[in-house]
Amino acid sequence: MNDTRDPEAAATDDGGALDPREAARLLEQTSREARRQFSLTPPLVTAVMGLVILAAYVALWLSVLGQHPYSGPNLGVIALVYVTVAVGSAVGVKVYQRARAGVSGPLVALGAAEGIALLVSIGGSPVIQGALHYYGAGNAIVYGVIPAAGPLIVVGTTLAGMAASKADWLQFGAALAVVTGGGVALFVGPINAWLVAGIAVFAGVVGYAAATAWQRRAAVRL
Amino acid sequence: MTAEALDPLIHAPARLRIMATLAALPEGVALSFTRLQDMLELTPGNLITHLRKLEDAGYLTSKKTGNGTASHTSIGLTVRGRAALDTYKAAVRGLLGGL
Repeated sequence: MNDTRDPEAAATDDGGALDPREAARLLEQTSREARRQFSLTPPLVTAVMGLVILAAYVALWLSVLGQHPYSGPNLGVIALVYVTVAVGSAVGVKVYQRARAGVSGPLVALGAAEGIALLVSIGGSPVIQGALHYYGAGNAIVYGVIPAAGPLIVVGTTLAGMAASKADWLQFGAALAVVTGGGVALFVGPINAWLVAGIAVFAGVVGYAAATAWQRRAAVRL
Repeated sequence: MTAEALDPLIHAPARLRIMATLAALPEGVALSFTRLQDMLELTPGNLITHLRKLEDAGYLTSKKTGNGTASHTSIGLTVRGRAALDTYKAAVRGLLGGL
């Protein structure tokens, strides 16, 4: 331990007069603040991400609405979605760095491995999309149902596996909701797949944020 | 039950905050001295004094790596410390129930 001493060390409190009510308040307040600072999924940031994802999917849906034959989202909207993904990723990295600063132990290494698994799974759907294009699948498949529903199924399944390994049942439930939404999106046609997928991600992410906020409040209550 | 039933090692504002902060991390996870100090806004000397008391009681462990300016100290709650905090919380609940 650092061995620097300062004059204030002699003045450290021993709290003999600490009232039980005050102790309870201090305990709850400190626990809440610590959980907030260590959180990798702050409820507010997570909820905003859910809204942004919904907006991106709705923009994609609007860009294909009324297409006959189906050709896929226009490039402007796709570029906007990529910018959104980049900004979302940057926010995620920032939140991770802030939460994990000074934290060490085996779970931190596990978190890094989970991050890699998540990145690989995000790349999974475009690979399938590329293979389908290579084998001559139509636009409705290559630029419709697969890019809309594929990420939900692949990333959602990865998140569900990660959640199950940690017995994080809130994340597990949210991930399963997203995977189910992806499964439904596969069968509603290339246009509506975007809307169904957007609603599924929004419901899963915002539901998770709300449940996490409630769970944290309950956890710090004495 | 009276306030005397509360563990005196934990029943002090700074030490209570140290214990509550470390308990917010999963078991086996440690926190650097610097981050803990930033979170609690205590001076190094003040924090060291409280950490020593808690470490002497077996409530937490500290591990120093590196030398000189590159040295780094990590602090983690022990199983005993976590149990002591749970007992303390139960005692506070009991006292509040009786008020």
